[in-house]
Amino acid sequence: MACKPVPDHVPPEMVKDFSLFTSPGMERMPNGDPHAAVACLHDAPPIFYSPNNTRDGRGTWVITRAKDQRRVLQDTATFSSHRSIFASALGENWPMIPLELDPPAHGVFRSLLNPLFSPKRVMVLEPVIRERAITLIDRILAASTSCDVMKDFAFPFAVSIFLGFLGLSDKERDTFVGWGRDLLHGENVKRTAAALAIVGFIDELAAMRRKEPAGDFMSFAVGAQVNGRPLTDEEVRGIGVLLFVAGLDTVATAIGFDLAHLARNLKDQQLLRSEPDRIGLASEELLRAYSTVQMIRVATKDIDFDGAPIRKGDYISCATMIANRDPEEFDCPNTIDLAREDNRHTAFAHGPHRCLGSHLARREIVIGLEEWLSRIPDFRIKGGTAPITFGGHVFGIENLILEWS
Amino acid sequence: MRIIVHKNKCQGHARCWAQAPDIFNLDDEGYILPGDIEVAERDELLASRGARSCPERALEIDATADALLTRLLFNQACGGVK
Repeated sequence: MACKPVPDHVPPEMVKDFSLFTSPGMERMPNGDPHAAVACLHDAPPIFYSPNNTRDGRGTWVITRAKDQRRVLQDTATFSSHRSIFASALGENWPMIPLELDPPAHGVFRSLLNPLFSPKRVMVLEPVIRERAITLIDRILAASTSCDVMKDFAFPFAVSIFLGFLGLSDKERDTFVGWGRDLLHGENVKRTAAALAIVGFIDELAAMRRKEPAGDFMSFAVGAQVNGRPLTDEEVRGIGVLLFVAGLDTVATAIGFDLAHLARNLKDQQLLRSEPDRIGLASEELLRAYSTVQMIRVATKDIDFDGAPIRKGDYISCATMIANRDPEEFDCPNTIDLAREDNRHTAFAHGPHRCLGSHLARREIVIGLEEWLSRIPDFRIKGGTAPITFGGHVFGIENLILEWS
Repeated sequence: MRIIVHKNKCQGHARCWAQAPDIFNLDDEGYILPGDIEVAERDELLASRGARSCPERALEIDATADALLTRLLFNQACGGVK
């Protein structure tokens, strides 16, 4: 994709040849470490302009420091989320909800959805999550002394819990995972096809649940009210599509990066195996070190941001993987210290758009690691194999072949 | 010790609650309940850890709010204990 010219208002000295898509270390490669590759941005100025930093070749301002990202993400009046990224892939214009709404409309939908994802509600799901993890791991153990964590554990685990939450059948899991992969990582044609498939699926599901409620999430959505009125079809679609997309690969990717770290760092693996009480704290450090998401905001007005002349309509990138390696925020940010305290990382973003599913994600990651470590003996990356990682707007890991004896 | 709760900054990360569920109470949406929190001396370490864990900086530790000191100052202001 050709990148667009740098706008005139951007001073040439603020342009930096960096891109989450094309910079060294961002490409798909065996044994890559895209997180380490972006960490070196902290030697650069805290804000700069990247001419080619979205999938469609647009330029963005890049905010590297944690405290500056917090400022951007907390100030929704200046930095809007209204982008319709999903719909625009289809040439349409409707927001994913609540992600692409700004306050005050945003708050109305957050209040509707928050109770379904609250920490206390997630505690109720704990036994189901744990049972799912145990079933999958026992199956792996019975079959072999090696497996592909992504294919055999991380994806089936995270996606089936999410589908169960949405009230969807686990049988079509591979189809859904394929849509998610094409949507997030595919080229344009695949991406549009996947987007169409997901919208069609959500619309159809909503229609079915309108006819016959089933006590699941989509039944809740079609029956819900905001401001004393039922949701419109477009709102139900916006919510359904967001939850569907958000749950497909984030947790699986986190588990993949975490187990890759433990496979390569046997001391850390030993520590968590012998003292499982540390897994909760450790999982926060792993979220910090291997966060995967980039938030993009759009300026609603002209502002001067510490000398950067941001103009209305400019894109501002807040990449969690960059802020989480900020030495002003974290001592020795590139050292992964599973006992790190005061770890106010930004893996789930800041501000009103804090990840709605963060509490569910955290429980899944902790339970996944607990059950894996308590059942699978000392594991390492299988000789002759290499995990393939990649950068981009969502960082990822494709495969992780582990072995044990 | 007292924790000053900036309710408008809370975004429901619930890191305080994860540290100290008995000190930091959440509403049904998972956000902190309004109102500052008076912390008993035995809970001070836990409470300050919880406050420091807030990614939004919504919890402020008010170390000057020593209960005894407050009472003394109040009494003094009212012409009580000199």
